[in-house]
Amino acid sequence: MIHHLLRPFFLPAVSLFILLSLAGCGPAPDSSGTPLVYRLKWLYNMSVVGDLYTLEHSFFAQEGLEVDIRPGGPERDAIKELEIGRAHFGVASADQVIRAVAKGSPVVVLAQLFQANPLQWIHRAGQNLQTPADLKNRVIGITYGGNDESIMRALLAKHRIREDKVEFFSVRYDYTPFYQGKVDLWPVYQNAEGLIISEKLAQAGEEADFFNPNEFGIRFVANSIITTEQMVREHPETVSKFTRAILRGWRQSLDPANADRAVATVQRFDRDTSVSLLSKQLDATRTLMMPPSGKDFGWIDSHAWKQTAGIMFEQKLIATPVSVDEILLSRVN
Amino acid sequence: MLYRRIFQFLLIYLLALGLLFLFKYSLNLSDYVIPGPDEVWRTATLVFNRYLFDGLNTLYVAIVGHLLAIILATLVAIIGRQANLAGSLIKTAAYNLQAYPIVAVAPVIFILLGDGLVSRLLIAALICYFPLLLSFIGILTEPVTDIEHFYVTTGRMRWQLEVKIRAFENTAKLATVIAGSATLAMVGTIVAEFIGADAGIGYSLRIALYQSNIAKVLVALFLIGIFNSLYLTCLEFIGYLVQKKLKISPGEIR
Repeated sequence: MIHHLLRPFFLPAVSLFILLSLAGCGPAPDSSGTPLVYRLKWLYNMSVVGDLYTLEHSFFAQEGLEVDIRPGGPERDAIKELEIGRAHFGVASADQVIRAVAKGSPVVVLAQLFQANPLQWIHRAGQNLQTPADLKNRVIGITYGGNDESIMRALLAKHRIREDKVEFFSVRYDYTPFYQGKVDLWPVYQNAEGLIISEKLAQAGEEADFFNPNEFGIRFVANSIITTEQMVREHPETVSKFTRAILRGWRQSLDPANADRAVATVQRFDRDTSVSLLSKQLDATRTLMMPPSGKDFGWIDSHAWKQTAGIMFEQKLIATPVSVDEILLSRVN
Repeated sequence: MLYRRIFQFLLIYLLALGLLFLFKYSLNLSDYVIPGPDEVWRTATLVFNRYLFDGLNTLYVAIVGHLLAIILATLVAIIGRQANLAGSLIKTAAYNLQAYPIVAVAPVIFILLGDGLVSRLLIAALICYFPLLLSFIGILTEPVTDIEHFYVTTGRMRWQLEVKIRAFENTAKLATVIAGSATLAMVGTIVAEFIGADAGIGYSLRIALYQSNIAKVLVALFLIGIFNSLYLTCLEFIGYLVQKKLKISPGEIR
């Protein structure tokens, strides 16, 4: 009789147990010596030099923290891992954070890494691409659904260029259409693959240049360090120590005096990139990350965040406007 | 047949969706991680029509790719069934080709053939042809001694006749293998669209993932399941008709 009554609950109960086990409801930090998990946005490359430098130079340990830095990738989303409890800190781009907050995610921004978005468009030099008006009648590569699409559409709208005046080309990992000259402008991370493509063009006797939307009023924020409201509320000391350590690592890694050490650190994790290219990438990364004078590293540019949220709302990427002040924890101007 | 398969799919889909919602609400996750039922419904009403046409586009490529794979597997199996050097070489080449992960080969295909229809077709065919090939080789190398003995002893055996006899005697197996590989054809097409094409439901899935929009992903998965069920049912029905039509005595084979 009892078996009969309980039978309908058996499958949901087993499923819930399995799901909760799979979720890996991680133990609270500090409580049992479990390392803090820090999920990066992308694979190990120069864009995470400060994170690796912090780890390699024991800045976390000096704060009494044990941190496990895990690389990101196309299928990794730090925000989701934070919510599920598989990570304590992470790196996410502003558009990811704004989308998540618009859907009720309790994510908090601790520090802004890139002060200028590294996403720019590479083109061959001497093509007279000085202003947004010069984009007319050009073939522009965009990743449909990616933030480069949002940036380019916002740029065109801001400068009142109708989209039918340009031709969009759907971009993938294969740069052949750009090398062949079928596409005039190709979106790249200027401090990473931008320099690699520039080198390849140089080998072919061509010179590359970059079209930077940031210079034309589009301040679309890129990567920031994030955590959850719960983490800030329940473990403020840990958050404080983590932020202090990671910002120290970033500051030191971008200090020209430590350039050799920074390059050596990244090379231990990214063995496929030559030292000379890593050095160039470090210089480019430094330019994109250093805050304006008078501001500390990690400074959060709230005006840029508001513009980013505004662009996303206008382009219907979020259903409701997001109040960015509520997600920017500190260091706001 | 169709009703049963669609019903089975709906049952599995709804169960999976239910588990997802259970996961969401038991861990109090936001709509960003797992969308709620209302958001899934709202998204479905917004994108359903567009995704429906994307799904049809994918189905069309999957069917053509599947046909290509059947032709390719048949040709390779006919040559590969022979126990000579050519047969051995063909088999080795066919097996080695399958050893390369398609995601590694796909960029080369897209560079050579562009991101249009041909690349999608080729990748779909490459993904579903191997199980076909294995079964076809198995079937075509297995002698049907009772029947073949007569033609061999009377000196009338030709390779075409040998293939015909073996295929005829294993029609049910062939029909099952072809229907079974249809799912792989769908998977292959979606993988191709996901990696490099600019059309189809796989391409829409990729954009949805770029936007971290799980509601769109769920709608796309629903349509993929429906189209896959439809295609499988069609193939099973065709297989049934063919077997019914071929119920002739072995002596009639010429």
